Parts: sequence; structure tokens; C-alpha cells
Amino acid sequence: MATFIKKIQSKLHLYTKNDAIDFFIKSFFLLSTIISASFIIIIIVFVTAEGIIPFVTDNDGVGPVNLWRFLTGTVWLEGTAFVSNLYGVGFIIVNTLYIAFLSLLVALPIGVLTALYIARIAPKKIAEVLRTIIELLASIPSIVYGLFGSGIILTFVYNLAKIFNVQSKGGNSVLATVLVLALMILPTITALSEVAIRSVNKDIVLGSLALGATKTQTNFKVVLTSAKSGIFTAAILGIGRALGEATAVSLVAGNARSGPSIGFFQITSTLTSTMLQGLKETTGIDYDIRFSVGIVLMVVILLTNLTLNFIKKKVGNVDVK
Amino acid sequence: MKKIILLIAAFVLTLTLSACGGSTDSWDSSSNITVYTRDTSSGTRAGFMGGIDFGDAAEDDSLLVDGFVIKDNTGILSSIVTDEYGIGYISLATLNDEVKGLSFDGVEPSVANVINNTYGLKRPFNYVTRALDDYENDTEKNLSLAFVAFMGTTDGADVITNQGAVPLDSSNTWDDIKADYPVCEQDNSGTVIRFGGSDSIQKIAEALSAAFAPKCGDFVPEHDHTGSSDGFKRTQGSEKDGDNYKHIGFASRPFKDSEAGADGTQGQLAWDAIVAIVNLNNELNSVTAQDLKNIYSGDVTTWDELLN
Repeated sequence: MATFIKKIQSKLHLYTKNDAIDFFIKSFFLLSTIISASFIIIIIVFVTAEGIIPFVTDNDGVGPVNLWRFLTGTVWLEGTAFVSNLYGVGFIIVNTLYIAFLSLLVALPIGVLTALYIARIAPKKIAEVLRTIIELLASIPSIVYGLFGSGIILTFVYNLAKIFNVQSKGGNSVLATVLVLALMILPTITALSEVAIRSVNKDIVLGSLALGATKTQTNFKVVLTSAKSGIFTAAILGIGRALGEATAVSLVAGNARSGPSIGFFQITSTLTSTMLQGLKETTGIDYDIRFSVGIVLMVVILLTNLTLNFIKKKVGNVDVK
Repeated sequence: MKKIILLIAAFVLTLTLSACGGSTDSWDSSSNITVYTRDTSSGTRAGFMGGIDFGDAAEDDSLLVDGFVIKDNTGILSSIVTDEYGIGYISLATLNDEVKGLSFDGVEPSVANVINNTYGLKRPFNYVTRALDDYENDTEKNLSLAFVAFMGTTDGADVITNQGAVPLDSSNTWDDIKADYPVCEQDNSGTVIRFGGSDSIQKIAEALSAAFAPKCGDFVPEHDHTGSSDGFKRTQGSEKDGDNYKHIGFASRPFKDSEAGADGTQGQLAWDAIVAIVNLNNELNSVTAQDLKNIYSGDVTTWDELLN
């Protein structure tokens, strides 16, 4: 054993014990990095390999799907399943982005104000309790939000539509989807914004107060502006969850097959809910095309994140610990 | 500024409260019909569209009325509980008191009416086995016969009911008749029984074989469901000696004249009954196949047109 270790030591130029430890730790970290990174690559390769089948093969006689038509189409599938290749997701891309940004619009102000309250205003004990509640909310699985949505929010939206003299389709609508998603991303946004607000440099706050600003002025004009980079990160993660959510959305969206749906009480569909619909019971082109939707989704998420990160850089950063 | 915020808050709160309370105004027959349907991959959808003579729409969304809502069985059920102007269809086994199951051509949807063959919106689940003299060995033959017998017992009926179909009347339990099938006493773990045919029956067939294998010497069930027409073809038809041969095949429709098999090899295991449902407040009680076709194709878009 001892000679074996010696051999390795001389091979790798490890002469002291600490050199060896460093080397092993380094290799261990490298290994875990390779494992996690390779999974992303495996997933991307797998989804892409399945997803391009509809465009490059004959699909058992159905004929290849036209990529341009697919990306700009306003109807999910014209004609009979397994016989037609006229798929389109253009309207679903619009729906997905529309819904994700609307839910961010609802969740961001509420989340940031909650975070501000927890981090700056609430007494320590209450803040502690609230923080735990937010963390609990963040860990509730999406299907629970979906069941809540289909049980409570659908009825709520249905009755709300009636007040406006609109006949909604059982509450399945853009509004219901936005409400469920806003509810889901709220804890993410709150938790991250709270961390960002707490790490604002105390000196800036004290300086503001010393200059005679009131607490409210300081909170809004100094603390929030200083934390905006962190809040932006919260928004990016929140919108990522909103774009990727499938289960809860498919329970309340109504799964429209054509669109885009802009009106609040119209039924809608997102990329993920479309992928999920019938996934377990279909084969052939109708199955593979769902992976193509997956590619589109990954590209949409990537582009959204890049755009938001770009804006975040432009918005800039203030002294944060 | 403060006043405006207060006003907005008051308005939102009122809206929220009144929305929660729901409205009590009466059912308005001039409203539009909201159509709920299953996804194109659903067997229930195939059964429903076939039953209302609109088979082309089973796998083609573009034939349906604009603005239909796609939900799963439970989703349709819970939406109809809320949506006073919706119509949907579910499998009979999941019908409950919270919605109104519509009579079809004047016959009420009930298990009794399905079994006595008066309720029309249904399709038979049939089986076909190989001809008795066409098995490779006696074990395979006896296992297939024992499986068919099991489907007719109350134990089999329970499995079928759990999968959402309506089993035929049965009175014997498996324990009552197992003495007639000595093959189940021996160890069959080396024997593969191959099931095929209708994919709508796949779940039921898998549940049945999973329930039966432990009772019958742990034979190995192999399921490969490719469609009703392969049920006969691969047991007694043109592919019975091919690579894809089956011991037991299924068809989710009556056997055609061209599919008449050897005596005693074909039969029915269950009914798949589907019921059209509407909200309890709906004034409609009965529909015909033509009505449903008109609704789903968009020829009829308001409830008035159905009630008058």
C-alpha cells in the first residue's frame, strides 16, 4: 500500500501530504462538475435528437414538418393526428411569454413589498415566522398549486367573469393561469428579494437617515434602489419558473388549440401544457413533436434570461455587501 | 393619493367578495355552449365520437367547434360542476351527483341500462383467443382458457370496474371455479402469455393479467396493444403464425363478419360506457346522437337551439 501511494506521489509530483489532499479535493470537485455539466448536455442532446425527428424524417409517411410553419403557426394541429404534419406553435410562444410576464407583473410588486416588510420593517420575531412561511410556500409542489387553482381559482374567475357579463369557459382562462403562476413564483421572488434587501450596506441606510430622510423614503428610494440587482435576479428566477411550469398550468389554462389568446377570460395554452397534454398516450410524430416544443421552450427560456440579464447589467449595481 | 389608493382597495375588495359569493341568477338558455373534450389521444374521446357518429373528430381537433376546452376526465367533471353552460363527456364509472348525466336517445345513463343494452353511448370490449387446436402446448392453451374464465368472475369484474369500464354480470368468484383449472396449481413462471389488440383495452388487460398471474402459477403476461383490428388478425387471422402472434387479442368494437372465429373463442368482457354531462342547473335532460354531433361540430352553439 505504502509503495503504491509513493508511486502515485512521484508520478503526480505530490511530495507533501497537503499537496496530496489538495490534489484529491481538486479532482473530486472536477468530477462532480463533470457529472452535473454532463447531465445538462445529455438532456439537451436527448431532447434535440428526439425533437428534430419531425423536421428531418418522413415521420412514417406523414411527411416532414415545415419548420417555418411550425414556428409561426396559429393552430396546434390542422387535420387528423398521425396523418397530418401541419403543426404550429407560434401562438403558443406568444401565449407563454404573455402569461409569464403578466404573472411577473402581479407577483413582483407583492413579492418585493413583502420582502421589504420582512427585511426592514417587521419586528424580528414576526420576520422570522414570515420567513419560514415563505420558505414553506416555495417548497410546495406545483401539483398542489394546480389543485388549488382548479378547485378555488377557476370558480373565482368564473364568477368574476359573470360580474363583467362575460361567459368564461368554466374559469379556464388567461387570468386563472396568471393567478396560479403568480402565486407560485411569489415565494421565489420574496425569498430572493429579501436576501438582496438584507444585504444592502448598512452605511447607505444610515447615511440616508442621517441626511434627514424618513424611514419610508429610505426604504423606497435607498434600500430598494440599492437592492435592484438582487431583485432583478429574483424576477429572472421567478419568470423561469413561470415559463417552465406545466402541471398547474394545464389544469387551469383550458389548453386552447389555436390562438394567440390575449383577453383575460379566453382559454389559453403554454408550451409546457401543450407538451404535457396526451404525452403519455401518444406515439410517432405526435410524440416526437412534443420534444420539438421542448426545444422551442428551452430557446425561449434562454433568450428571455439573456434579455433580462442584459437589462440587469444596464440597470447597474449599487454598493451591495 | 391616499384617497385614490383607498378607493381602489375598496373596489377590489368588493369585487373579490362578490365574486366569491357566486351569483344566484337563473340559468339563461340563450347562452353559448362551452364545449369540453378530451385530448386526441384519449380512448374515451374515440368511443364518444364514434358513438355520436362523428368518428372523424376522434383524432382531428380542427373538425370541432371553435374555442373548445381540452381537459382530462376529472378536469371535465370539475369544470362542469362550475360551468353552468358547459357540456362534456366522461366515462360512466366516474359520473357523480355533482353534475347531470344526460339521457342518450331517451335512455338514462346507468350501469343497469348499459348491461341490458338499452343505453346507446357505449362500445363493447371484446376478446378473442386462438382456436383451441392452435396452441403450441397445453399449458399455453389452459392458461388462456383460465384467463378468459377469470375475466368472467367477480374478481375480474372488480378489476374491470377499477379501470372505469362496466363489466358484464358475474356471480362466481375465482375461488369457486379455480378447481376447474388445474393448470393454475402448477408453476407457470416459464410460460409467456401474449396479449394484444385494442390499445383502449390495454390498461384493463394489463390490470387483469397483473391480478391474475399470481393466482395462476405466476405466468408471464406480455402486452403489445396495437389496435382493435390486430386483435383477431394476430390470434386467428392472417398474422396468427407470424412473429407478432398473440394468445389473447382484444377489440374495442363488435367483431366484423370477416372476423368470425372458431366456436367459443370470442366473447365480451365489458362495456365502455360514456355519458354526456352538463351542469345541474342546466334545463336539458336528454340528448340524441345528432344533438351531440351538432354541438361538437359547432352547428348548434346556444342552448336555446337544443331546448326548442
